[in-house]
Amino acid sequence: MSTTSGSSGVQRRSFLKVLGASGVAAGAIGCSSDRVDKLIPYLNSPDNTVPGVSNYYATTCRECSAACGLIAEVRDGRVIKLEGNPDHPLNQGALCSRGQAGLQGLYNPDRYRGPMLREGDALVPVTWERALQELNTRLSQAGALQNAVFINQHESGSFPALLDEWLASRGMPPHVSIDADVNMPSVEANREAYGVAWPALDFTAARLIVSVGADFLDDWGAVVPQQLSFADARAKLTEAPRFVYIGSRRSLTGLNADEWIACRPGTELMVMQALAGQMPVAQAAEAAGANAAQLEALVAELRGAGSSLVLAGTHGTNATEVARAAAALNQSLGNVGTTVLPGRALTSFEGLSGASALKAVSERMTSGSVPVVFVRGANPVFTTAPAAGFAQAFQSVPFKVSFSSYPDETTVLCDLVLPDHHALESWGTAQPLANSIGMQQPVMKPVFNTRSTADVLLQLGSTGAAAAAPAANGDSAYRQWLEQRFGGGVDAFVAAVTTGQAQGTTTSAAARPALTPASADPSTPIGDTDGEFFLHVYPSPLLGTGSGANKPWLQELADPVTKLAWQSWVEIHPTTAQRLGVENGDRLTITTGAGSVTAPAYIFLGVQPDTVAMPLGRGHTAYGRYAKDIGVNPLVALPVAADSATGAMAYSATKCRVEKEGSHDQLVTTEGSARQHGRGIAQALTVAELTALQNGTAEEPHGHDIPGVPSYSALPGLRSPIAADAQGELADSSAAQKGMYDPEHWSGMARRRWAMTIDLSRCTGCSACVTACYAENNIPTVGAPWQGRATSPVTWDERPGANIIKGREMTWIRIERYYEGGEDNGTDFETRFVPMLCQHCGNAPCEPVCPVYATYHAPDGLNVQVYNRCVGTRYCSNNCPYKVRYYNWFGYGEPNRRQYAFPEPLNWQLNPDVTVRGKGVMEKCTFCVQRIREAEHRASSEERDLNPDEFTVACAQACPSRAIVFGDAADATWSVAQMAVDQRAYHVFEDLSTFTAVVYLKKVNHPAPGAPVQA
Amino acid sequence: MTTRRKWAAVPGLAVIAIAATLLSAYSGAQAAQQAAAAPATQTESRDPAVIKAGMDTVAERGPWAYSAASSNVGNSPEQPINFPHPVHVQGAGMNCLYCHNTATKSPDPGLPAVETCMGCHQIVATQSPEIQKLAQYYSDSLPVPWNRIHRVPKYVQFPHQRHVNGGVACQTCHGQVQEMPRVFQYSSLNMGWCVNCHVENQVRYDCATCHY
Repeated sequence: MSTTSGSSGVQRRSFLKVLGASGVAAGAIGCSSDRVDKLIPYLNSPDNTVPGVSNYYATTCRECSAACGLIAEVRDGRVIKLEGNPDHPLNQGALCSRGQAGLQGLYNPDRYRGPMLREGDALVPVTWERALQELNTRLSQAGALQNAVFINQHESGSFPALLDEWLASRGMPPHVSIDADVNMPSVEANREAYGVAWPALDFTAARLIVSVGADFLDDWGAVVPQQLSFADARAKLTEAPRFVYIGSRRSLTGLNADEWIACRPGTELMVMQALAGQMPVAQAAEAAGANAAQLEALVAELRGAGSSLVLAGTHGTNATEVARAAAALNQSLGNVGTTVLPGRALTSFEGLSGASALKAVSERMTSGSVPVVFVRGANPVFTTAPAAGFAQAFQSVPFKVSFSSYPDETTVLCDLVLPDHHALESWGTAQPLANSIGMQQPVMKPVFNTRSTADVLLQLGSTGAAAAAPAANGDSAYRQWLEQRFGGGVDAFVAAVTTGQAQGTTTSAAARPALTPASADPSTPIGDTDGEFFLHVYPSPLLGTGSGANKPWLQELADPVTKLAWQSWVEIHPTTAQRLGVENGDRLTITTGAGSVTAPAYIFLGVQPDTVAMPLGRGHTAYGRYAKDIGVNPLVALPVAADSATGAMAYSATKCRVEKEGSHDQLVTTEGSARQHGRGIAQALTVAELTALQNGTAEEPHGHDIPGVPSYSALPGLRSPIAADAQGELADSSAAQKGMYDPEHWSGMARRRWAMTIDLSRCTGCSACVTACYAENNIPTVGAPWQGRATSPVTWDERPGANIIKGREMTWIRIERYYEGGEDNGTDFETRFVPMLCQHCGNAPCEPVCPVYATYHAPDGLNVQVYNRCVGTRYCSNNCPYKVRYYNWFGYGEPNRRQYAFPEPLNWQLNPDVTVRGKGVMEKCTFCVQRIREAEHRASSEERDLNPDEFTVACAQACPSRAIVFGDAADATWSVAQMAVDQRAYHVFEDLSTFTAVVYLKKVNHPAPGAPVQA
Repeated sequence: MTTRRKWAAVPGLAVIAIAATLLSAYSGAQAAQQAAAAPATQTESRDPAVIKAGMDTVAERGPWAYSAASSNVGNSPEQPINFPHPVHVQGAGMNCLYCHNTATKSPDPGLPAVETCMGCHQIVATQSPEIQKLAQYYSDSLPVPWNRIHRVPKYVQFPHQRHVNGGVACQTCHGQVQEMPRVFQYSSLNMGWCVNCHVENQVRYDCATCHY
């Protein structure tokens, strides 16, 4: 052996020395047993609080105008989960993704910590005393306060009345109440036709639903109650209404339709007139670019449908006209009182200022007559098109005050910021329905040094001299104000707060000034504007018009239609893409007279060939770390155009040019393929097939016979040998030792078989279950720009969603979206949504491949992942046919890591019942085992057995379609056991003999009358 | 040359393997030694006989019992206030649940609020230096920063109420706290120790019973 060492600078001997030393060091650290944790007791024990046990408080959701009822789960003083209030008349326990993500608004790490005052170019922190003093001084110096402007995010209930009272006491005019997410033309048409801003819609009473651009499952109106009703209607199966969607783009609502009649943007009115018989169908079809035969058939169907429901919610320059036509059609078809219920109106939409109010404000600000402007909650600088010049007008005001608690685009321009409490920290009332008050109470102490705006106004009083500190006992002055005005007094108020609701009517503000008549703003007809394509801009079902963008759950949640996250995109039809040589991800520049935006292309079958579509909500230039510089804002390219009747901003009233920029972005998609490739993941049958099945004229579909499994075909939902074994059906006397899987086992472990049914005829793909799962199970979001991998020792992949591009998202439950048909790139295609989660296979492929026994089958039917056993080989994930196991690549749950997903105080939300997983661990759906255990503990403490349907899992609880049912399939008294033996039941990939615990019920399609029956 | 270089790594790897084995054995033995020695070195007021009794009991728990070597048995950090359990339990006759009052209804047994202590100690033994420390915390509106003794890892879900309501005495896991002038960790709290008891008592013991 050579005595000379190699060229290496480090000799082997010294290398081993170093290794030995570091080994000792590592050993010393690893074996340290002297770590001392602190146990901090309460100073004074709060009443009704048991450490480690949740309290539940009823309150009201303020994430959109609808004002659903909430139950906030509070553990040791911190809110950890939001769920719908089951007793609330509006949402009946369901809650959408946006509502649930309100929690990340409360714990948003970019909230203002306290009041801020402008010094030069920057906002600097000041004390409340200093801030209020500044407000008083500037107000007293301002002069001409009768020209002051207060822009408030619309909310129902008492606050608007309090606000107007205060404004009047200081000589200021009533406030402007806006909500950029509300379709004002629909509100206007509803007021004219029904006398209410938003009637309740009863889909269950209809036999035919026609929606002209009304995305009632996306963002049009009160989504949760509408979705509840729509899903109930669909669950009537053979009696369910057929649903036809008319528009230039299939939104989430459109994808749920049985039939799509495509038309050009701006031509909806002609289609509506054709439906009403006021225009020859052929002529309308010709002008709209729609299929005349389809339209003709629909006209006939509408006449003969009996009860129907016609909805319109377009965003063009004639949007109000279209909505009026829909209302007229409903009246002539006799739908008012059956499917359109003005008597059960959603009163939370009352009191909105006219859509042109903002324009009027803008003009006054430009003219220099406005001495002071206040903004609370709303973000008009972002939600108005830059071409309208609102930001410039706003900046020209000498004194600008914001009550926002977030650094949004409007607030960063302000001179003084008086951050409001989050809705979960404040008192308040709402008026979701006539004669129904929604109560809002603080469910925890304020996270930051914020103050309720109502309290600030009350303390300022009319003289402004007070500027007092909050009441010494910490009580809210606004609470006292509410109590004094509450019907029935303080006792009734307290009683109402505990249930979250009361009958009656809140103190309400005077009616908003009537709609400003259409200003002399002749809308340019679309045909005259420049460009080859129609530009269709639409509010995102998750981010709205932008308010959701600072919540990582909503940024991470894949759009229900496109399955894209953390980026903006341009939807383009496949034939158009082919013509332009565009592939998925190619950056396209959209240019109009107003400006241009560039975003990657997403090839989408559901958009017209002559139209490109872009979602709103992203492209913030401020609004915190999760929103800023993520995506683009298509409003930048939107010329000023308005609905001619209301002045509402017209989103789809322009043409544009589309050019390939030449570069390419990878799409941040959670989708593998949009096609099933014959795998039968999402199964469906037609009404005819279902009827035949029910009549016994068709053979019951079932899988292959499995030798040795006697009950296989008899129990569609419970085919697992283990499930059967647990019930003793396979009790094979020759099997001497069944161990803990023996139903007679002394531990009683195998008594139950946890299972789930998912009814695909109910599921609309809204993805509320996904957010519920993130909240319940401490699932990290992984797409923020700083969470990417290292590309060198000093550089990082900082593309938003970089981890998702590499397939590293952590969605324990995801919604898969598959298209059927439409191979000719036509409009006739069907969409199926499948919630996909761990199937908890009875015969799980993941289990035998784990070298360390970190995944095993629990005797009660759970496929368990033991995080502390897992060493991260990822064999299980490779062997999982459902791809529902997710690997924690970067230690998203470890605070000292760059990729940490819960920067303070977002980590306050973490569920203490669920382990926060570290790096290198496989994780997946647990069937909310912590909820199972909690229910078992509760039953055990009360010395009883579990009651049927006593509890449910997070996804099932949230579902606004009621598609998911969870429970014990081995006990026939649980709902899930009854659902699992439905004739529509099937298992995904049952050919693999995985014997899953998740049973899907086939979707039921309603083909057009006379359409050929598909096999 | 290349072949010889490649094989030259083998003795090196062997050395690493042997070193690792020795190191782990050494550190394990040392930890055991430390654990045994800790009570004597850490405190003078502790009664070594009590500790000894506790250790013996662990060792006598039968063939399934795990070694205490890798656990914190005997861990007894000094507390900000020298709280004597015997005075309260044996002297004053107080029940465990008087102070740890959520042990029957929550996964968390609960610590008494400072207010609870002061409920008695505004009158009782107010001259004691330890009570004056307590009074100082209370008048400063500060909670007492107790040092944690019993701890299971964060991936273990341990519901106290299920055990207490199921008839497991506090002393089964925590030892004769009523006789400990200064509380120390009595049981290993190792997984084998848990499973042993679950099997003996015929309750479920699969992983997802506690790990989720």
